[in-house]
This record gives sequence, structure tokens and C-alpha cells, in this order.
Amino acid sequence: MLIVDQLRRDDARLRVVAVVVLVGIAILTAGLWRLQVMAAGRYTRSEEAQSVRLVRVPAVRGKILDRNGFALAENRPSYDVNLYLEELRPSFVHEYTNRVLREARAQRESGKFTLAERLQLQEQARLNVYSNTIMTVSSGLGVPLSVSQDGFLRHYRQALALPLPIVDNLDSSQMALFFERCRGVPGIDLEVQAVRSYPFGRLAGHVLGHLQRSDEADNDPDLLIFRYRLKDYQGVAGVESKFDEALRGRAGVKALRVNSQGYRHEEWYLHPTELGRDVQLTIDVPIQLASERALSRIAGSATRGAVVVMDVRNGDLLALVSAPAFDPNSFLGRMSPEEFQELNDGKLRPQMNRAVSGAYAPGSIFKVIVGLAALEAGVMDPLESHEYLGYWPMGGRSPPIKDTAPAGFYDFKRAFKRSSNAYFIDHGIKVGRERIVAVAQQFGLGEKNGYPLGTEVRGFLPDAENLERLRARGDPWTEGDTALLSIGQGAVAVTPLQMAVMTAAVANGGKVLEPRLVLGIGGQGDEKPQSFAPQIRSEVGIQARHLQRVREAMLADVEEDEGTGREAALPGMRVCGKTGTAEVKQGRVLVDKITWFVAFAPFESPRYAVVVVVESGGSGGRTCAPVARQIFQAIQQREGAGRPPAEDQGTAAPRSASKPLPTPAGLYAGLAAGREVSP
Amino acid sequence: MKGAEFSLRPARVAWALLGAAFLLMAVGLCFVHSSTLGDTSTTMKQVIWFGVGLTAAVLLCFVDYHVLARWAWVGYWGSIVLLLAVMVFGVSRNGARRWIDLGPLQLQPSEFAKLAVLFALAQFLSRPIEELRLTNVVFKSMAIVLLPFMLILKEPDLGSSLVLLPMMLAMMFVAGVPASILAKIMGVGAVIGGLLVADVLFAPENWRLIKLKDYQRHRLMVYFGKDFVPANATPEQKAYYRELQRHKGWNVQQALISVGSGGLAGKGWRQGTQNTLGYLPRLGAHNDFIFSVIAEESGFIGSVTVVGLYTVILFSGLMIAGQARDRLGRLIAVGVISLWFAHVFINVGMNIGLVPVTGIPLPLLSYGGSAAVCALLALGILQNVHLYRRSY
Repeated sequence: MLIVDQLRRDDARLRVVAVVVLVGIAILTAGLWRLQVMAAGRYTRSEEAQSVRLVRVPAVRGKILDRNGFALAENRPSYDVNLYLEELRPSFVHEYTNRVLREARAQRESGKFTLAERLQLQEQARLNVYSNTIMTVSSGLGVPLSVSQDGFLRHYRQALALPLPIVDNLDSSQMALFFERCRGVPGIDLEVQAVRSYPFGRLAGHVLGHLQRSDEADNDPDLLIFRYRLKDYQGVAGVESKFDEALRGRAGVKALRVNSQGYRHEEWYLHPTELGRDVQLTIDVPIQLASERALSRIAGSATRGAVVVMDVRNGDLLALVSAPAFDPNSFLGRMSPEEFQELNDGKLRPQMNRAVSGAYAPGSIFKVIVGLAALEAGVMDPLESHEYLGYWPMGGRSPPIKDTAPAGFYDFKRAFKRSSNAYFIDHGIKVGRERIVAVAQQFGLGEKNGYPLGTEVRGFLPDAENLERLRARGDPWTEGDTALLSIGQGAVAVTPLQMAVMTAAVANGGKVLEPRLVLGIGGQGDEKPQSFAPQIRSEVGIQARHLQRVREAMLADVEEDEGTGREAALPGMRVCGKTGTAEVKQGRVLVDKITWFVAFAPFESPRYAVVVVVESGGSGGRTCAPVARQIFQAIQQREGAGRPPAEDQGTAAPRSASKPLPTPAGLYAGLAAGREVSP
Repeated sequence: MKGAEFSLRPARVAWALLGAAFLLMAVGLCFVHSSTLGDTSTTMKQVIWFGVGLTAAVLLCFVDYHVLARWAWVGYWGSIVLLLAVMVFGVSRNGARRWIDLGPLQLQPSEFAKLAVLFALAQFLSRPIEELRLTNVVFKSMAIVLLPFMLILKEPDLGSSLVLLPMMLAMMFVAGVPASILAKIMGVGAVIGGLLVADVLFAPENWRLIKLKDYQRHRLMVYFGKDFVPANATPEQKAYYRELQRHKGWNVQQALISVGSGGLAGKGWRQGTQNTLGYLPRLGAHNDFIFSVIAEESGFIGSVTVVGLYTVILFSGLMIAGQARDRLGRLIAVGVISLWFAHVFINVGMNIGLVPVTGIPLPLLSYGGSAAVCALLALGILQNVHLYRRSY
């Protein structure tokens, strides 16, 4: 050993000391190697575990746009006042030493406090500072704020590193007061947060769906253990739910470094949030708005019904209305008991989307199917007239089926436009249940039509399978049942969406379209834009001349003198339609009426299918036809200004919202004044 | 080997010793600054202490150590008086009465006592080697150390008293006390130490022969990983003892995390989070736990460099001891080396969990006036022995 050798050779004892020193140094070096090189990772993790807290930061949700780029769901800034506790530490110390401790000393003989007593006094000091700060903010903003000591203590224990929320959502005058009076109050600061907002309120609420508070999500980055999760929402209905993953984006991860007492020291992002993607719908806000207004004129907020407006060329849903509606905004905050009551009203059922989940007896609009079946089967010569009595006598002890059409001679067109029950029962019985059902099935009745949000019901058709079920219940099919089926009553139920698909197929020459609600999903980050092309589900196997015959009859129903749908007539646009009034009976008592109007326009080159259904209406012609007329009118106004709503075929990705769009308020005003509002 | 033979004129200054000392002082100032979160006034005070210590060390070199040794007993009894004075007039911090308040500055007599004992023992042991076999001489030399040892232990300052023991053993060993006698002394010491630890850890409360302070007992329990919870504790007591254990183990745990998380290259000067965020004890970070701050911020590379600088000083001291003119010089040098070594080993060992926590400064790195001045005085004495090695 070189160093030891340098000592005098005879100096054995000094050499022993040298060896002891060397061994000691070697032990220390080995200990340092073990800690700082071999176990460095472990200690780095413990260091992070005790001083770093991960916070889940939700991303800003994507917007939901209508086909023109109007935001149906967007994010507005909310200005919240927060209390940052780490900035109050000097105040805590000051309060403790200068007030609390002195007062406590003054009350006692001996000056010594135990540790527990001192901790108690320190907590008291913090509470004092907190209460004073709240009072300052409260008087500054002119808002009564309650001092929640328990809340403060809980926050102090559990989430010290996070700011403590004081007031949410300041309005502009409170903002002004804040800047005038509260700036400079220690620990107090303003934070801007994105809050979901539905600027049109109830408009298309059923399509949009709503959110529900949910701080945890499936699409979290990796498997991180979050100490804290910031307020987040998850879609639980409608587009918000179906496209939740795309809309939600990816939550970010914020790391907070805290000191030994748990106060925030610094923060940084491990993962930035990734904005949610925008979803663009086929809905056209002006048409949707016109449809909702037209429908609600019937009985105001008590109106129960639905409207579907579909582009007959590609299946785009331009409007999908269900009344009564709900305001998705009301799900974001705390709901009042009244609101909750209203939302869960057993009769109004505002949360149900009647346009796809409502299965109704079709009534006379089913005559479109029966007529086509009879024409196809060759059991009906449309030009041949027959005499009917003004009712249909049922065999046996059953009462006759009454008819709104008077006794007289009817050919197909007259029977259709006057909605003669006798004519259609006569021919329906000749065609038979089986062939009627077959045609109905070709038009997509009795099955789900592919509404993307999934709440669709199938309706009901007396097909072989259901017939078997009825027979098993001891309710065999009779000719009387066929008679009822021929006028859309009895064992048949359809949804408004199915009727729109049917009407569109009649109008477009037999193409059964898949209803399209979403045009596309915008790109964001690595995600490419995605678009959904129109889909034809099938073609009906019906001769074109027969479809033409029905279209002419529908035109007559609106345009000719005797037509039941005359109230849908609109100058400048040739509307074709069919009314329906289905009676809902319990036993033999009439309890309710379902009124319908199905229509398309223009006759020459069909473009729009409109279906209106109203529960407890008067009659299809009086109740629903005017609604359809108002909707066509709105369409006509949009077209008249040279910019029809469905101008692009909708295959493009959502347009950027960078170009100036009219504000919702402006749009409302524009529509109210009957002006065209063009984006 | 060659350096000494080839130089015509022997070096008067131990350059390696001086260089290492200055580097350590520089490192010390940097990390006192860092560990006090950039408190310039504390750093400046330390600069002043270094200045005082350096001046004293230089002045010391003007007087031959033989002359100094004549005053050894005056110094010894003077420091005993000071240690007694501490017991009466001393000011206490954190329950320990270690300082004498002199207005603007506070004196820590135990630091100066270490040097006084060193000188007295060297003077006593430098008698003819044959006398060192006599039992009463051995006992006397032990008594010279044990008197201040007990006084310092009483303050209480376990660390400062303990460093006297290896110093005593090393000096007696090098002086030529027979190894068999030393072995007996160490054997008895080990038995007493073992009994003490066993007593603290395993004996029931009322059986304890030696009354340690609670915090000393807790430190030992933490070091030996002994569960704080008594066997038949109620749930409330259990919770209390768990919290106590966590609390008592906190400093060691945080020191380990600091050193370990420093890794190979460290987090950078003033970038250590353990200290800035208050995980290391705020009162200890710039003195007893300064090594944790250095290790965290400069990593394995930095901490090994620091240990290397100490090694340079220790071996320069050993060389000086080897080349000393007489047994007195040799013993003084060995005393200084063993004292420094004990400080470094115990302090660094405590920071990396090898040694139980005892409050003991790291020479030239820890903040503290008396300690800094005494460390520099000790180096001055070494230099003195080096300087006067040939002046016959």
C-alpha cells in the first residue's frame, strides 16, 4: 500500500492506524456507492412519492356542431375565485404568533404549551386567517359566502396542494368588483375554467344528450395513480355519450411538488391535455329550430310529440325533435328538486326521445304501405271506382269500423286523399296480412333503422314470428285484425324515424336509407378526421309506376280540395303528404289519439321528408299538417336565399369554426324576424 | 518516498493539507449557502469564522509545539472549568446545554475541550515508553479523557463526547501502550456498550441501569430498527408509538432519501428538493446534515470527492506523524487525525445510515463557529508539527 509504505518501516503502530483510517474511508465509499448508485432509483422514487402528487386534469371537451358549423355544445369560460393556501402561510404564522398565541398566553398562568396544544392553536390561527379572507372576498364581491370550517379543515388535510374553490362562475359585474377590491388579498386568485355549455338550451337536447359528473374515465393516460382528480364529466346520453371518447380528448397529468407540510411548491405537466375532437352533426340548426317552434305551438310545453326531417337523397337527419325537451345545461350543476321532478314526469317523459323511442300506431299513414302492397299484388286497379258505405261492417258481433270518408264512390286517389277506411280495408283484406307485412318490412318497419345513438325501438309488425306469439297467447289472427291493420291500427306500431325512412323511400324511388346523424369527427393531434358516408340499406322491390301513383296521391292529399292534408299546402313548394289519426283504445273506450302527418317536398324532385307526430292531437290534418307546413316554409326560406342547408353532401370533415358564424342570439333574432340567416 | 529525498530544502508547508483544507472550506461555504436556502448572512458569518480560525492557526505556527505543550495542563483545566461553567451559565437549545453566551457570539466549550484534551494526553503519553506499561499510568491517561468525557456527556452531547474515545485509543496505541492492555480496555468498553444497547432495547422500563435521555434512546431504537410499540399496548398507545416512531425515524429516513436520490451526478447546486421543501430537518440541514445536502446536490461524484479531500488531510496528517521529530509531535498529529477521522466517519456514517444519529459536525463543512475555528486550529497544530520537525 503506497501511502502506508511511505511511513517509516519500523513504525508498525502508525501503519495500523493508517489501515484503520483506510478501511473507514472504504466503508464510507462503499456505503455511498450502495445508496447513490445501486439504490438511487429506489430513493428517487421515495423522494417523488413523498413530494410529488399527480393530478388528473381533464381535457377541454370537443364541440358538437351542426352541419353549418354552429356550436350546439361548446365550452364557455367560467371565472372562479380560488384560495391558494401556500400563499397564506406567512399570514398563518403571523396570526399564530401575534394573535392566537398571545391571547392563549394571556388566559393562562404558565407560558408553556404542550405540543398538542400548540398544534391546536396553529389550527385555530389557520381557521382565523381563512375566515377573514372569506369575509374580505364576500364583502368585496357583495356575495354572501358561508365560512365552512369543516370544509376548510378537510381540504387542509386532504388536498392542501390544490387551491380551495371559494366562488364559482363570476358574472361580469362581480369580475369588475373582484379586480377593484379583491386583487392583492393574499392567497386569492382568479382562475378560468372551461365549462360545457349548450348555447341553444333545449334545442336538439335529445340528440346532444347530457353529461354527468365523473372524475374518472376509461381513457386515462397509462395506469397512473392519481392523488387528485379535477372535476370532469362523462356523457351519459345522446351524442355526448355515444362519442364520449372522441369528445373527451385525453386528460393531462399535472405533477405538484409539495413541501414537507404538504403545501404546493411548484407544478408542471407530465402530459399536456389533448383537446377533445369536434363532432359535426347532420342537424341543421335553422330547420331544427323551426321544427321545434312549430311543434311547440300545439300545446306549448305540454306538447308531446316528435318531428323528423330527413334529406331523402342521403338520409341526413336535418332535424330530430322530441317534445317535451330538456335543457342539457341543467345537468351540469346542481339540479333543483322541481327540475328533477319535471325531468322525471311520468306522462311528459321529457328524457325520452320520442322520435326514435316512441312506438305509435301509425293510423292512416300506414295506407301508404297497404296501397303499395295492393298495387304490387295486382289486387287493386287504382282507376277503378267502388262504392262504400261510409263505414266498414265487421262480421259477427263486432261493431263496424267507422270512417271519416262519407259514403260514395272511391278510386285509389280519392280514397287516399280522403283517407277512406272502407276502401283500404276492402283492398287490405284482398292483399292479406302476409303481403302487407312483407312490403312494410321492405321499408324497414318492425326493425331498427340504424339510428346511431342507439335508443331506437323496433316497433311492431304482425309478422310470422309475432303471429305465433299472439296465437300462443290465445289471440289468433282474424280477418278483423287484417281490417284493422289495413288502416294502421291494432297490431302495428312504428316510430317517427321509421316513417321518415319510409316516406323518403317513397319519395326517392325506393331507396331505404340509413338515417345519418353524424357527418364526421374532427381531427385533433394524432387523430385524423373521420367522416361517415351516406348509406343505402336496401332498395324496395316495388315498381316505379306504383311509387309514382302513391306520390301523386300524396300530392292530391295536400293540393286537392278534398285532401285531408290541405293545411300543409305551401305556395311555391309542392308538398306531398298523408295524414293519420290513430285511436288508442282501452277495451272499447277511446283514451287517446295519435295524430300524424308524413310528407315530402318538392313533388318534382323530392328533397325533404318531414314526419310529424303528436300525442293527444285533434287529427292529423288539423294538428300535424300545419306543423309540416311551417317546417317546409322554413326550408323554403333557406333555399330561397340561395343556400339550401344540405348543399354539400356532407361527406366532408367538419368545417373549421374559424369563419364568423352568427351567434345563437343573432340566429334566434333572425329567424324570429323571418329573415334568412346565412353563416 | 522520493519527494522527501530529492528536495534539497524540506517543504515548510504541507501543501496537500492546505490545499484540501481550502477546497473543503470552499465546498462548505457553497453548501452552507445552499442549505440555508441562500441566506447570505449565515454564509458570511461562516466566512468570518473561517477567517478567525485561519488567523489563529497561522499564529499557532509561530510558536513551536513544544512551547505550546508546556501550557497543555493550563488549557486542560481551563476547558474543564469552561465545561463546568456551561452546566451553570450555559444556554440551552433543543434541550441541550452546550453553549456559553458571550453576547454577539456563542462559545461551544466542548469543541475547544477536544483540543485541550488532545494536547494534555499527548503531553502525558510522551513520557518514556517503559512507563506506559504501568497500570497507574494507563489509568491516569484514561482519566484525563474520561473527566471531560463525562462532563460533555452530561450536557448532553453524546457525539462530542464519543469522539474522544477513538482519539484516546489511537493515541495510547501509537504511544506504545501494550496491545494487551488496550485490548482489555476495548473489551470492557465493548461489554459496557453492548450492555447499554441491550438495556435500552430489551430491558423493561424499571430495570434500566443507565438512564439515557429519551431522544438518545429513540435514536438507538431507530438505528437498530426496534419497534417502538410496547408488547401490551392499547390501540391508542399503538397509534401513538407508531407516530412517534415515524417522527423519530424521520431525519434518518430523509437523510437517506436525500443521499440516495442524488444519484451519480446529483441534482445540481441549490436544486436539491429534500432541503428546499423542508424534508430534511430545517435546523440540521446546514450543520449535522449538511452532507445529505451535498450528496443530494452533487451526487456520488461530489460526495466521493468530499470523502477524498478528507482522505488527503488524514494521510497528510499520518505522514506528518511519521516524520515528526519526537513522540510528542507524533502523538499530537495522531490525536488530530483520529479526532478528524472520528468526526468524518460518524457524521457521514450517520447521513448514510451506518451510524446512529448523534449531533456531531462535519469538519469545515458544517456551519458553526466553534467547530470551524477548532477544526482549523487542529490543522494548524498539524502544520506546526510539520514545520518544526527538523529544527533541532
